[in-house]
Amino acid sequence: MSESVVKLTDVWKIFGDRAAEAMAAVKSEGIGKPEVLERFGCVVGVQSATFDVPRGEIFCIMGLSGSGKSTLVRHVNRLIEPTSGNIEILGQDVSAMSEAELRAVRATKIGMVFQHMALMPHRSVRDNVAYPLEIRKVSKAKRWAVSDHALELVNLVGYEDRLPKELSGGMQQRVGIARALASDPEILLMDEPFSALDPLIRMQLQDQFKALVAQLQKTTLFITHDLDEAIRIGHRIAIMKDGLIVQIGTPEEIVMNPADEYVREFVQGISKLKLVKAHSIMEPLDSYSGSLKGAPRADEGADLDQLIDLAVDTDKPVVITDSGKDIGVVTKPRLLRGIQGGKDD
Amino acid sequence: MTDTTGELKVTAASDIEVDRDELDASINQFVGPSGSYYTAAFHKIHEATGLLPNTFNIWAAVLGPLWSASRAIWGMFWGFLILEIIAWVQIGRGAWGDPGAEFVERAQGQQNRADEFMQRAAEATEASDVERFERLAENIGKAAQTNLDRAAAAQAEAFGIMLTGLLLLLAFKLVQGFYADRVYERQYSRWRIDPASTESGRSTRNTVLGIVLVAAIGPLIVYKFTVNASLAMLDAFPEQQASAMILGHSDTTLFATVANWMEARIDAAAIAGGDVFDGIVAGVRSVLDALTIALIGSPWPVVMLVICVTAWRAAGPRVAIFTAAALAYTALLGYWEIAMETVALVGAAVLLCVVIGIPLGIWFGKSMRAYKTAEPVLDLMQTLPAFVYLIPIIAFFGTGNPPGILATIIFGMPPVIRLTALGMRGVPESIKEAAVAFGASRWQLLKDVEIPLALPSIMTGVNQTILMCLSMVVIISLIGGGGLGKEILEALQYAAKGPGLLGGFAILFLAMVMDRIVQGAFRRADQD
Repeated sequence: MSESVVKLTDVWKIFGDRAAEAMAAVKSEGIGKPEVLERFGCVVGVQSATFDVPRGEIFCIMGLSGSGKSTLVRHVNRLIEPTSGNIEILGQDVSAMSEAELRAVRATKIGMVFQHMALMPHRSVRDNVAYPLEIRKVSKAKRWAVSDHALELVNLVGYEDRLPKELSGGMQQRVGIARALASDPEILLMDEPFSALDPLIRMQLQDQFKALVAQLQKTTLFITHDLDEAIRIGHRIAIMKDGLIVQIGTPEEIVMNPADEYVREFVQGISKLKLVKAHSIMEPLDSYSGSLKGAPRADEGADLDQLIDLAVDTDKPVVITDSGKDIGVVTKPRLLRGIQGGKDD
Repeated sequence: MTDTTGELKVTAASDIEVDRDELDASINQFVGPSGSYYTAAFHKIHEATGLLPNTFNIWAAVLGPLWSASRAIWGMFWGFLILEIIAWVQIGRGAWGDPGAEFVERAQGQQNRADEFMQRAAEATEASDVERFERLAENIGKAAQTNLDRAAAAQAEAFGIMLTGLLLLLAFKLVQGFYADRVYERQYSRWRIDPASTESGRSTRNTVLGIVLVAAIGPLIVYKFTVNASLAMLDAFPEQQASAMILGHSDTTLFATVANWMEARIDAAAIAGGDVFDGIVAGVRSVLDALTIALIGSPWPVVMLVICVTAWRAAGPRVAIFTAAALAYTALLGYWEIAMETVALVGAAVLLCVVIGIPLGIWFGKSMRAYKTAEPVLDLMQTLPAFVYLIPIIAFFGTGNPPGILATIIFGMPPVIRLTALGMRGVPESIKEAAVAFGASRWQLLKDVEIPLALPSIMTGVNQTILMCLSMVVIISLIGGGGLGKEILEALQYAAKGPGLLGGFAILFLAMVMDRIVQGAFRRADQD
């Protein structure tokens, strides 16, 4: 795609007093996580993370608690220093920045949203949202204007002068998002922003967030422990286990071709209807021996849901087209298997 | 995760069999020697449903505290060591003690005096004298006889005492025998939870320690309480001999030597650091003078009005009315000027406490190591009786109001330091992290996040400091501090009840007014 905004190359994080020694041992001997703990008393937080997020992409990092996803994302704004590896933001090496440069980058380029909102209880909603600008010593008039605009984006007009505790959880998290957007950063880091909310509010916020990011074209790293959420929101998903990224791919790739048993287990319960596209389950045209006359037609990008709608009204298979040209067929057995998750007949 | 749950077999609670193999291995590991006895005993205890013990440990009964020591059950060891010694003292008193000795001694004395009177009667020439002395001798002789009877009775009781002792000993032994295994089983349960810090097994070290303790404590106590004239060595610590032994001569005592040495050191330090101490006193005095001028130098109606309005703005009309009443009380009873002196003293002390204490508290809140180092000092500042540090304060800073303020600061500063540090540590990590993630510098983090969020705690600390300073203000009158404390000290010296109480109420009202105003001022919109 376009230029890379966040780029991590072989990033490692080892926690503990003897992290440097442990890192050297890992590099030279290739020892694993349990061995590092046993020999050096150090915990491996992130193992060799490498990925590249282009502008405008929502990149989800999914994993269970303790899998190192929060640790990983905190390397991007250097809240955590990597033990080894390279992190670039917009072509700049984060590790090489001075304190002042780093603060400037944090204040202008990166917005962050936290699981527990982390709003300042003694400041009004408006002043909370304006805080990133206040740090940069923007004038009060300017930062209030910016703050009100950001609150408008998250539909919180009318709550500017409230204190955070007067707002519901979902509203508080919208304040958190507004705060992250206030300084108009290019990168958003979302650390399980919706995990603490109830399911209905979570769905609403997911949709709002997705639309907002699409509109504003923010490059987003989105952490979640919920695969459904990752699939709803993410353009691409990285699945982490024990500090290691097991698989990176689009939601469809992950669901259709899980890299290992661990990912497969996660993917099992996911509904494929909206995820799986016709081109990934279709068979060649010549494999169908019968007549295709009067068969319904669908684009190769149609999802299973749409194919089902077409298939219920006819005995014939659905013909898949690419820019008007027939390229394959989806028979009913094939469609049913596709719904099951791409099992072979 | 799916394959483990699939295999789980569900059994009804009543059908569950007790599997002891693993448990027995663990019990054996815990008890060490005589494992088979204790596994059996613990089985019985585990199966028991009632409160009464169903095992009897013969060795625990026979050996008593020695058994509990060898098994490292120290609570039981000390408890039954004391109880058994009590029983042994009774036995000793009965067996070789002399319960009638006191009466015999008294009878002896009376008999002697009776004999003396008989002698004087024999020597007397006049008949009336003879009669008088004989009668006296007869009476005293009767008293002596009574005492002898009492002595005999006491002797007769000796057997009873011994019997009581024996019965007590038997009872204690039985209790130990019956409950030993239960107590030991408790220890085993603790050991399962925390094997590192719970002692297990039977160690030679513990056995020897038990024997030594029993041998050292038992005989000495039994000796002291059963023998009538025990050694003087045991009654009081032989400090004269000990100090002679340490010093090598008996011209002076150890106490005098150390006290003289300390006095010399303190005098030397006071002279050496004279300029520094004078500077500190001058600094404190300037703060105090400024406050004194403001409170006493200004016309009294102005001061009263300002205080009342402050109370009203900070804490509402009710506190303002109370403040006005309290001020009227002090003014009407003629305490106005000294009350304001007290306020100035407390104000200066609190100001200095806050100015020094809050930065220290912030530092201690951020650095755990600094806090750990400072904590013993803070404890000392609060626990050391004020009278003790008044002495070095006189030595270094002299007497009067400024040294009094210094003493007040020592006593009053710990709360503000502690609560500031507590507040700083209580600031949620997530909010701090958020500020840092948005590019806050250390100073901005402190100013925008940490101090505002720690403020309720800091203000509680300031409030406590104010109250502690007020309570100290009475004590500093001992080293020449003025104000209401001086009035109360004078009243105390002459046992003047009326003036003392009136002054006491004046201080009480001042404290309440300050407390109300400060609390009202600190109660902010976002913390209730």
